[in-house]
Amino acid sequence: MSGTSAIDSGIAEREPHIPEPTLDRPADYLHAQSTLRSWFLTTDHKRIAILYLASITAFFIIGAVAAGVVRLALVVPNGAIMTNDTYNKAFTIHGVVMVWFFLIPSIPATFGNFLIPLMIGAKDLAFPKLNLTSWYIFMAGALFTMVSVVLGGVDTGWTFYVPLSTAFSNTWVLPALIGVTIVGFSSILTGLNFVVTIHTMRTPGMTWFRLPIFVWAHYATSLIFLLATPVITTALILLIMERAFHIGVFDPAHGGDPVLFQHLFWFYSHPAVYIMVLPGMGVISEIVPAFAQKKLFGYRFVAYASIGLASVTFFVWGHHMFVNGQSDLASLAFSVLSFAVAVPSAVKVYNWTATIHKGRIRLDTPMLYAMGYIGLFVLGGLTGLYLATLAINQHIHATYFVVAHFHYIMVGGTVLAFLGGLHFWWPKFTGRMYNEAWGRISALFIFIGFNVTFFPQFILGYLGMPRRYATYPPEFQLLNVLSSAGATILAAGYVFPMIYLVYSLWFGKRAPANPWDAKGLEWETTSPPPPHNFLSLPSVPPVPYDYPIQERETRSQHR
Amino acid sequence: MSRGAEAQPAAGVGVARVAHFATVEQQRHAAVLGIWAWLVTELLLFAALFLVALILRVQHPEAVRAAALHLKFWVGAVNTVVLICSSLTMSMAIAFSRMGWQRAMVRAMLATAALGSLFLVLKGYEYYADYEEHMMPFLTVRPYALAETPATRLFVNLYYVATSLHGLHLFTGISILLGMTWMAAKPGFLSRHQNWIEVYGLYWHFIDLIWILAFPILYVVNR
Repeated sequence: MSGTSAIDSGIAEREPHIPEPTLDRPADYLHAQSTLRSWFLTTDHKRIAILYLASITAFFIIGAVAAGVVRLALVVPNGAIMTNDTYNKAFTIHGVVMVWFFLIPSIPATFGNFLIPLMIGAKDLAFPKLNLTSWYIFMAGALFTMVSVVLGGVDTGWTFYVPLSTAFSNTWVLPALIGVTIVGFSSILTGLNFVVTIHTMRTPGMTWFRLPIFVWAHYATSLIFLLATPVITTALILLIMERAFHIGVFDPAHGGDPVLFQHLFWFYSHPAVYIMVLPGMGVISEIVPAFAQKKLFGYRFVAYASIGLASVTFFVWGHHMFVNGQSDLASLAFSVLSFAVAVPSAVKVYNWTATIHKGRIRLDTPMLYAMGYIGLFVLGGLTGLYLATLAINQHIHATYFVVAHFHYIMVGGTVLAFLGGLHFWWPKFTGRMYNEAWGRISALFIFIGFNVTFFPQFILGYLGMPRRYATYPPEFQLLNVLSSAGATILAAGYVFPMIYLVYSLWFGKRAPANPWDAKGLEWETTSPPPPHNFLSLPSVPPVPYDYPIQERETRSQHR
Repeated sequence: MSRGAEAQPAAGVGVARVAHFATVEQQRHAAVLGIWAWLVTELLLFAALFLVALILRVQHPEAVRAAALHLKFWVGAVNTVVLICSSLTMSMAIAFSRMGWQRAMVRAMLATAALGSLFLVLKGYEYYADYEEHMMPFLTVRPYALAETPATRLFVNLYYVATSLHGLHLFTGISILLGMTWMAAKPGFLSRHQNWIEVYGLYWHFIDLIWILAFPILYVVNR
């Protein structure tokens, strides 16, 4: 506190017995105040982002441990290691925690929260108190669900399909559902805050086509938060009513329709895939130009592709129900629309690749993650086309092929982008540099471990091993053991960053304002930034991604 | 939305800037955009529910008709009128706030809250009458009147989900309105927070609009 007032009065006076060497530079947001109250009642978007970062890391650890339990159970084919009941509960914890409490809030609520105001030159989000409220709602709902899935146990999987979740499961489904419903409101409020912020809080000169792609991606994500989340809220409310009062809407015995739940569920949950993927694409679009020192290729196409993905994703939910008695015509339409998703996705991949082409490439940790992302996302995306094909889908529906496919998107995509972004902006968040050698080693561990874990699952699925079963025929054991072995390498890759990043908080080298020679307003301010982000109003460069190397064609970029 | 306010800014009416906004105009714009974004999500929340109701109609037209005949049409109709009147008084509150007539504004807000409460009272009476007629199929202790046509259960239950969700919104709305009226009665309110009234007005009209959609979908169609 005394430091702040000294800065305010412009005098560098300090009492001689307090050795506080950072006081001769402006107090940053981390050191401006240090009471618990200043953290838990903060309205600073940067501190709220740190609160989210800490909480979702905790959820990630819980979800990862549950995944470890699942992989442990599948080492033997006959389910001898644990009871089927325990296995069901473990994969439900893994799914519920990873989807609802890690992947969905991961990049938006942490990096988006921290970086959007910095990138657009604002002092904060439009509604700072609402932002803090979102975190409390998130924690309340998430802890409520955590108590029920960990202490009580739930065995429905993260999708809560009826009639298992309403009539047959004897586990703590109801409290888990209530918690997930509550968390939805946190997503809605975060999305609302981002939309309003991006519309109204841009600094003078920051036009729409000067925004970093990260901001475009978050704008698209926020639209999905706003338009899709309320539908899952309704579906979950009906499900809660169904389980508590047997209202019958999803119960065929009363003339209700179980498939109706799947429609409502996937109307949200397919767009939710893009809530998880789009922000990751935004992160990659920042890392790749910085480490190629080259202007992002086809900026406008990448920006439009984000909005394109967010739009198309609302019309493909039926591809989760190809074998559930949906009409052939509907399936055909959903199949064609699902193929259409490949177009904006491919636009992005080609543009990243073209950006790297003839760039001045530095293979630092964030870039390793970004390149891993591009490769794994291509594999995940292309296998998605297999699944969108009606005939092939009949064969691989609900097999490990699906599991492998979406893990390539969710882990190979989102988690790698999350880790890449974490390393890229870590100096900005904390003001410290991490150990580069360890960073590269763990990026390598994660890439190898991930592929060893999940590539065998493509083969298993193609051979016909169904997902969610605790037992399998003995001839699948080799591939399953391989997959479980890969999971241990992957786990090591997750543990290293937790150690060296935390270590760097106290012992890391001090970070300069812009350690990567990256462009963007967030690098113009100090590391870590002061409480109101900028000491002087930043000036917006006329072109985004103004890196030294540029393509010849810049036809419509100057606007 | 706030166009009228810009045209004739009355004396003592305005908005105090909060530190993280650059200008008052930016702050007003953010508030209005924020509430519209919220209303869009609320609309989708109810849209999913109405969609389920309409799907039930298509699947079980006769059963839904039998159930809809048991709803209290006139209570619903009166409630529709009550809510439309409350939107009128809310609009008047907004108009008074722009002109700086604080006392009239507070009275219009109280009238709005009173009409909203009247709606809830009538709704409560309607639920009670349903209870008397054994039209609460989710109550296991009370035999359901239309037990011979099971598909009616769905519709009647959905009616309770939709109307209670709407009632919850209305209850929240009245609570916020009363809290805001208490603050708005203090001197100087209109010079600092005039836009609160406008933003809140949008929410109130929205609750009204949801009922205007719910009434035909639940009570009138198939009658």
